[in-house]
Amino acid sequence: MKKDHSCEEYEHLSRRGFLGASAAAGAASLLFPRTVFAQGTRRGLQRPCLVGIFLRGAMDGLSVVVPHGDANLYSLRPSLAVPAPGAANGALDLDGYFGLNPNASGLLTPFQSGGLAFVHACGSPDPTRSHFDAMRSMELGQPDQPATTVTSGWLARHLQAVSPAGNGSLRAVALDQLLPRVLAAAPATLPIRDPADFAFPGDPTSAAARRTAIANAYAGTIPPLAPAAAASLDSIDLLETANFEGYVPANGAVYPASPFGTVMRNTAAMIKADIGLEVVHHDYGGWDHHDDQGPLDGKLAEMLTDLSAALEAFHLDMQGMEDRYVLYAKSEFGRRAAENGSGGTDHGSGGLMMVMGRGVQGGQVHGPWPTLAPTALDEGDLRVETDYRDVLAEILTAGVGGSDLGFVFEGHVPTPIGVVL
Amino acid sequence: MPQITRAATSVPIGPERPPLLRDDLLALVHRATFGYTAEEHSRAEAMGFETWRDEQLDPASIDDSQLDAQLAAIPYLGMSVAELSAAFTGQNGADGEIRRILQAARLLRAATSRRQLLERMVEFWTDHFNVYGDGPISFLKVVDDREVVRRHAFGDFRELLSASAKSGAMLIYLDNATSVAAAPNDNYSRELMELHTLGTDAGYTEQDVQEVARCLTGWTIHPPGHPNVGEFVFNPSTHDNGAKVVLGQSIPAGGGQQDGETVLDLLAFHPSTARRLAEKLCVFFLCYEPPTATVDRVAAVFTATSGDIAETVRAVLSRRSFEESQVWQQLKLRRPMHMAIGAIRSAGGTLASTPQGLADLVAATKAMGHAPFDWPAPNGYPDALGAWGANLLPRWSFATALLDGALAGATIPNASLISIFTGVAPSRRASALSRHLTGGRMTLGDVAEVQSFIDSQAAFNGDVAREAVALALSLPSTQWI
Repeated sequence: MKKDHSCEEYEHLSRRGFLGASAAAGAASLLFPRTVFAQGTRRGLQRPCLVGIFLRGAMDGLSVVVPHGDANLYSLRPSLAVPAPGAANGALDLDGYFGLNPNASGLLTPFQSGGLAFVHACGSPDPTRSHFDAMRSMELGQPDQPATTVTSGWLARHLQAVSPAGNGSLRAVALDQLLPRVLAAAPATLPIRDPADFAFPGDPTSAAARRTAIANAYAGTIPPLAPAAAASLDSIDLLETANFEGYVPANGAVYPASPFGTVMRNTAAMIKADIGLEVVHHDYGGWDHHDDQGPLDGKLAEMLTDLSAALEAFHLDMQGMEDRYVLYAKSEFGRRAAENGSGGTDHGSGGLMMVMGRGVQGGQVHGPWPTLAPTALDEGDLRVETDYRDVLAEILTAGVGGSDLGFVFEGHVPTPIGVVL
Repeated sequence: MPQITRAATSVPIGPERPPLLRDDLLALVHRATFGYTAEEHSRAEAMGFETWRDEQLDPASIDDSQLDAQLAAIPYLGMSVAELSAAFTGQNGADGEIRRILQAARLLRAATSRRQLLERMVEFWTDHFNVYGDGPISFLKVVDDREVVRRHAFGDFRELLSASAKSGAMLIYLDNATSVAAAPNDNYSRELMELHTLGTDAGYTEQDVQEVARCLTGWTIHPPGHPNVGEFVFNPSTHDNGAKVVLGQSIPAGGGQQDGETVLDLLAFHPSTARRLAEKLCVFFLCYEPPTATVDRVAAVFTATSGDIAETVRAVLSRRSFEESQVWQQLKLRRPMHMAIGAIRSAGGTLASTPQGLADLVAATKAMGHAPFDWPAPNGYPDALGAWGANLLPRWSFATALLDGALAGATIPNASLISIFTGVAPSRRASALSRHLTGGRMTLGDVAEVQSFIDSQAAFNGDVAREAVALALSLPSTQWI
C-alpha cells in the first residue's frame, strides 16, 4: 500500500528543517555540500532562486535541439524530422551538428550569448515509459524500481537541508493550482496560481478578527494544512511588497501574453522583489504529442514558440542579474526516435534538458551523444547518457550554492558533467 | 471599540482530534453526498444506515423530477455528436461553450440531485476514465458523460470499460482512433492497463502494451460527414489480424474486433483490476490508507459479482468497513469542488439552473483548481492530501465570495441564515452553526474560534452572520469529508 503523504515522513523532515534553522553555528555548514566536486562556493553572495519548469507529457527533444548532423534522424523520421540548416524550415544551426527548431528561435540569443545550455540524451535510467511512474520517480528523485518508500520531493529535501535564505515565511512557490510532488513535504511552500491575486478575502473591517480565527484554528490541525495556512497568511503580506501590477521588465523585454509568459514575468518580479524566495516551480504540460505532432507548423511548433519567447524574455529581463537565478526545464522522458503512423511519436527515453542562469556553461549542447544509429538506440529510443540528477546536483551546488546531495538524491553519486560550474 | 473576548473553553486548543464518538450514519451522509444537509441527515436517521444507503445505490428509485425538469431545459445534454454539431454549426468557440454547459450541468447535479451517491460515483469515474480536450473532444465528452460514465456508474464494470473503450472522446483523446495495423499507437493501450484496469504493479510488460495496441487497431469512430459521426465503428481494413499474446494468453489470428473484446475481458476480470479498483474506492470513500482487510474484502466482492459496481460500493459503504477503518477518526480532505458544493448545500444555498446563470460558480471552481472536466492528463484529478492540502486561500476566498453574494447564481438567502440562528442564544451561535453545517462535527477549537469572532463584532447582524458562516466553512474541521 503506497503512502502518498505520510505524516511520519513529514515529521522526520520537520526535525531536519528545525535543526537547519536553529543551530546558528551549524547552519552555515549545511550550506556547503559534502560532495567532492562542488567548488567555488560563493560565500556571502545572495542565494539565487531555483526556477524549475516541468515540461509534462514528454517533450520531443529531437525536434527541439535537432541532431541535423546525424543522418539516422532523417531515415527514422521521414516526415517529421526538422530539416537541416539551409533547407526550407531548416534548423537554426548551433554548433555544426545540432540545430534549433526554427520555432524555438527565441532561445538562440540566450544560447549564443553563453547564458543557456542544453543537455541532450538526458534523463532517468528507469526503463519505465509510463508518464506517471516516470514523473513520480523523477519528482521523488528516486528510481522507479525497486519501489521506494520516499514520499518527499527532491526539491523539498533540498529546502529541508539548507536554512532559509530570507526570513523563511515563503521559501518556495509552485505557480500552479496544485502542489507538485517534487515539492511534497517542502517547508514554507505554497501553490499560488496567480501571485498578483493573493489577498485575504472579505471586508477589511472584520479582516483582522477573521484572520486571527483562521490562524488559531489551523495551528491546531494536521500537516500539510497547518503549515500551509501559516505560510498563506504570511505570504499574503509578503507578496503585497512585490509590485506585480506595475512591474516593468528590464532591458525592453516583452513577455508573451500567454499563461506561461505570465508565469515567467511573475517569476522575474518575485525574484527582484527580494522576498527570500528560493524556489519557483511551474508545470508546463501538454507535450505528449502522439499524433499530428507538427514540429514545424503544428502543435509542437506553437508550444515551442511560446516556451522560447517566454524564456527569451526572462533571460533579457534578468540580464545583468544572472546571479539571481538558476533555471532548468525538463520532461519526464523524451520521445521515440522513429515517428509513428499518426504523424507523431510515442514515449521514449533520453530527452532534452535546458539550463540557464548562474554558473551555467551556456552556448553548448552538453552530454555524450550516443547517436541515433540502430545499435546505439535503447529499444528504439534515444539512449540516456546523462542522468538528470547529475545536472540537478550541479545546479544545487555550483548554481544555488550548496545542498545535501546525499539526502536529496540518496543512493546516487553524481558524476561531474560541467554544465554548471 | 469592541473588546475581542475569547470564549472560555475547557478543552485546550491543540492538535486536532476528530470526534471519538462513533456515528456511522453521520459518516455515511458526509461521504455519500456532496455535502451534509440537516434534511438529508434526518431522512437517513429515519430510514436507518442500510436502507438509506441502499436507496442511494439504486438511483432510479429516487425521485429527482425537479432537477430532471431543469436539465430538460438544457437540450444539449441529451444530444448525439451529429445533433450537437448541427446545433452549433458555424459558431466560433462552440467547443468552449459546450464545455461550459457541461460543467454547469455537472455542478447543478452535484449540488441539487437527490441521487447524491450517483453524483459521487460520477465524480469517481470521471476521474478514473478521464478525458480532456477542446475541439471535437468537447462535443464527444457530452456523449461520454452520458453514455459511459452516468449510464454505467453503478452497473457492470466490463460494460463500463467497453463503453469507455468505444467512447469517441476516449478514442480521440488517447489516439486509438488513428491507431492502425501499419503503425499502432500505444497511448490508449498503455493507459487502459496502467490507469483504467491493472495498474503498473500488476507486472504487465512493454510487450503487453504493444500487443494490446495491436488488438485495438481498427477501433475507431465515424468521421465528420457520417450520420453517426463520433460513434464507435470497427474498421477491419486497419486492424492487425495477426496472432498476438497478451498477459500470456494467445489470441489467434483473424480475430477482428474480438481481439479487443478479449483484451477487455482479460483486463476487466483480472485480480489486479479488482484489487486496484477496490483500493481506489476505499480511498475515495473511506480514508487515505484503508486497511488491507477492507480492500481485500471489497476486491473479493468485486470478483465474486463479476464486477458489479453497486455491490462493490455497498461493501465499501458498510458498517463493517467503517469499523475496520475507524472511519469516524479519519481525516480525508474534501477536494475543492466538493468543498464548494458542500458549502452551498450545507449553508442552504440556492442555485441558478441555467448554464449562463451558473457561469460564476464554474469559474469559481476553476479558480480553486478543480473545475469539472479540466484535468488534462488521463489519470484524472489527484485524490491525495499532498496535492490539495496546501491550497487553502482559494477555499477561504470561495467561502467569503459565496456568503457575500459575489457569485451570481449561487447565493445563500437570508432565510437560510435566519433558520440557522433564530432562537439560538448568543453564546451558542457557533455550535448551532456546527450542527447545521456538519451535524456537530466541527472541533471544539474551531467552534470556539467562530464564537470568538462573533463575540468580537459590535453586533450580530446579517453581515456578521454571513461572515461567521463563511469563517466556519473556511476552518480546518469543515474541510474533511
